[in-house]
Amino acid sequence: MNRRDLILGGATLAAASPILAPTARAAWQPTRPVELVAHNGPGSGPDVFARAIVTTIEQEKLSPVRFQVSNRVGGGGATAMNYVVDKRGDPGVLSVWTSLWISLPLVQAEARSTVADMTPVARLVIEPAMVVVRADSPFTTMKDLIEAARQKPGTIRQSGGSVTARDNIVRQLLMAATGTRWAFISFPAGSERIAALLGGHVELMIAEPTEAGEQIRAGKLRALAQVGEKRLAAFPDVPTLREAGMPIADVPQARGFVAPPGIPAEALAFYEDLFARLVVSPTWRKYVIDNQFEEAHLNASQTGAFFSEYQGRLRTILQEGGVKVVR
Amino acid sequence: MDVISGLQQGFGVALMPMNLFWCFLGCFLGTIVGVLPGLGPAATIAMLLPLTFGMDPASGIIMLSGIYFGAKYGGSTTSILLNIPGEASSVVTCLDGYQMARKGRGGAALGIAAIASFVAGTFGIVALTVLAPPVAGFALRFSSPEYFALMALGLSLVVVLGGDSLLKAILSLLVGLWLTSIGTDLFTSQSRYTFGAVALISGIDFMLVAIGVFAVAGVLESIHAKEETKLLPVPREMRNLLPSWAELRACRFAFLNGSVVGFIVGVLPGAGSSIASFIAYGLEKAVSRHPERFGTGVPEGVAAPEGANNADSGGALVPLLTLGLPGGGTTAILLSALVLWGVKPGPLMMQDSPQVFWGLVASLYIGNAMLLILNLPLVPLFAQILRIPLFVLFPVVLGLTIVGAYSIADSALNIVMLAGFGLLGYAMARLDFPTAPLILGFVLGDPMERAVRQALTMSQGDIAILFSRPLSATMLVCAAAVLVLSLAARFRRRPSA
Amino acid sequence: MTHGGAALGALARDGEALAGAALAALGVHIVRQALGWEIMGPDGPGPGFFPFGYGALMIVLSLGLIVSRARRAAIAPSAAPGAWRAHVRPLVTWAAFALAALLMPVIGFVPAFAGLTLFMARFVFTRDWGSSLLVAALCALGFWIVFPILLDVRLPAGPLGF
Repeated sequence: MNRRDLILGGATLAAASPILAPTARAAWQPTRPVELVAHNGPGSGPDVFARAIVTTIEQEKLSPVRFQVSNRVGGGGATAMNYVVDKRGDPGVLSVWTSLWISLPLVQAEARSTVADMTPVARLVIEPAMVVVRADSPFTTMKDLIEAARQKPGTIRQSGGSVTARDNIVRQLLMAATGTRWAFISFPAGSERIAALLGGHVELMIAEPTEAGEQIRAGKLRALAQVGEKRLAAFPDVPTLREAGMPIADVPQARGFVAPPGIPAEALAFYEDLFARLVVSPTWRKYVIDNQFEEAHLNASQTGAFFSEYQGRLRTILQEGGVKVVR
Repeated sequence: MDVISGLQQGFGVALMPMNLFWCFLGCFLGTIVGVLPGLGPAATIAMLLPLTFGMDPASGIIMLSGIYFGAKYGGSTTSILLNIPGEASSVVTCLDGYQMARKGRGGAALGIAAIASFVAGTFGIVALTVLAPPVAGFALRFSSPEYFALMALGLSLVVVLGGDSLLKAILSLLVGLWLTSIGTDLFTSQSRYTFGAVALISGIDFMLVAIGVFAVAGVLESIHAKEETKLLPVPREMRNLLPSWAELRACRFAFLNGSVVGFIVGVLPGAGSSIASFIAYGLEKAVSRHPERFGTGVPEGVAAPEGANNADSGGALVPLLTLGLPGGGTTAILLSALVLWGVKPGPLMMQDSPQVFWGLVASLYIGNAMLLILNLPLVPLFAQILRIPLFVLFPVVLGLTIVGAYSIADSALNIVMLAGFGLLGYAMARLDFPTAPLILGFVLGDPMERAVRQALTMSQGDIAILFSRPLSATMLVCAAAVLVLSLAARFRRRPSA
Repeated sequence: MTHGGAALGALARDGEALAGAALAALGVHIVRQALGWEIMGPDGPGPGFFPFGYGALMIVLSLGLIVSRARRAAIAPSAAPGAWRAHVRPLVTWAAFALAALLMPVIGFVPAFAGLTLFMARFVFTRDWGSSLLVAALCALGFWIVFPILLDVRLPAGPLGF
């Protein structure tokens, strides 16, 4: 089966799944604790996210059974993805997905499972990001930055994660849109990226508001633009990239849940209903605000459509950026 | 000035009976978690995090940091007694700690580890208290070229760590470097040396290599016919259970060395505590008057790395509390815990939430003292483990290694790889290849490769960036000095080789 | 010729020389793979840069090891015949450990570990069957109680749940 079939298959699977009104109570209910898979270890982003979901479900009494986080670490996420695919038909397993789940199979030949093989359940939040520079940087707008990259090539450096991460993708899009070029330096941990920027070893970074917010408030960093469709409530004065004159495609970094392939339609309906009620609960709203996420709930079929659309876009961007794409 | 009044306020918070209790509970749990393989401080804190939601943020962070500190105390116990490193930070402690235990000085080694942890841990906290803001500035000046130089300094210690044959030591180091390359390249997402196996995409865990090469191979080594009889004599009298004055005096410099090295490396967000303990151990051996006795069970060889990994905890809190930048797995969870309680970690935390900051600092002093009081009486108790007959003890050791390996990622393949590393370690020991350089290469390889590539990307391929910056130049000079001096010493000792 | 041939034969049976050969082969593998990746790209060193460096060094040093061993071998013949007997017990133990590791995902931790303990106590340490069985049962039970039950640490589970 080639990749087109996989994606089409995933899309039809998603389209075929029943869509219930959020208020309807489902006929199926789990009878044993639901396993919530996180693809990284305790304390990592997906793990903290999964645990927040468990807390919300417990506090809001959304489920008749407990949800338990299980960390299936390894393969840069591939272990968890394979696990979900191998649990075919098991309605007692859900897994956190992040944008990594969509990008990883594109660049890793070893990663045999893709989100198109699974049952999409929901998208919950989008993680916003901002283009930040040091507070004493000569750049005060995106235009200044791009102009410097054009006039003096090689003087601008950006700290970030891996090439498939959102910060590099935004860089690729910005460079393509403006015909400029600057270096991208990978650091494994967010703290090292910020430290490189604060220490003046690089010129810019695309950071999450939770990482950069306090540094901005303390007057150490300055935000030039927001990566996203609309301005964040916490940063009303910072323009979006589009408003700053950089109309590039939006690459939302999202998180949500998938289930193994081939679970009963009633089980999917139960989880869809669960998440529809979860996202309107006060506990969840507070969590979203505290962590400066963007509320972005999608139901199962919309999530499936999001997967295939996003993966297609990502493939093009990565290929144009010179990254070897294997699927 | 501020520090005094801050500390007063902090002790006011930390000495509240409730907080003392949380501190004790954290230290106690941390010790247990550190002793047992399969449970790490990061996982424990993540599990307990929901329980702390109802608590005052100060109480919560006091308990969780008790776990963080306690795990480092406890981690040395299995390293010394069974050659199983309980945590990544106590791998180096195996080198001399286990040998001390084999010579019947297991109790003394545990005592020295506890005292070194206390002394260096306290040093780290004092430094955190008085030096945090300026030291944070130092951490920011440290970037890829400096990390490269630091790793080069670490690698130069191979000359010190190696056994009789320098050639074998370096080959062992290179294998370590290769093992750490296995997995996905961070920069390009290229997978390297994975042989197409999904399980290898995110690389091999450090603990797996360390447990295999030390603990499993250690058991095989001990079963080797000739060695069985002279193994693990059981200490009888009380004075055999605690370090002697002579041993403590021998560790004077090691306490200081561990404290300073541990704190400095700890402050750097890109270098973990296993690097700190390796550098402290290497330096201790490099300046020792009897370097040839290292690895056969000298107390300094326990005190230096144990001190370093505890001073590292204090150091790692500097960037976390002053800049909001976590240094490693456990501090990252402390950071997310702070966020969950509504405290905003960052440059303004000291101003915005002084009761949390100073409460935490004060509780670290108390926790450290508590850990010493908790751990010293446990020493004679733990030392009884060595009385277990070998036909029971060795299967139990192997069982513990299996639990430790499996729990890294709930992967059965890890157990098979563990067996592989056990055989590798045994073969190396039989062929007189030292294993410490392999572990050293594994610890340093990844950060070193990253640093050199980051630095050369920053400079657009100009190699001068590695030598022209004052901090990195200084460290490279130190690395060269270590190389030249210990090579010279080597040739003086054995002019024929 | 015969003298040289015998020396070469001795070298081929020598552990150190074999280790050198294995490391040289590993070095060749490392370098060949590294050459397939970018060594130096427009943005800086690529994924092949570092492995190429240590791989090349590994080849040189492992050849050096073989040469130095060959020189010493000419003077002093390697280990006495019969020395291999000392390796039997450790290697048998290792084989039992590896077998237990392979069986664990199939039959579960408790039976595999009990089997390993029984084997070691009975055959490696030559205790009688009774005490070996007792030790095996108690160890497996102890691990089962401490880790999955008391501490909630997951262990490989077999068809019976342990």
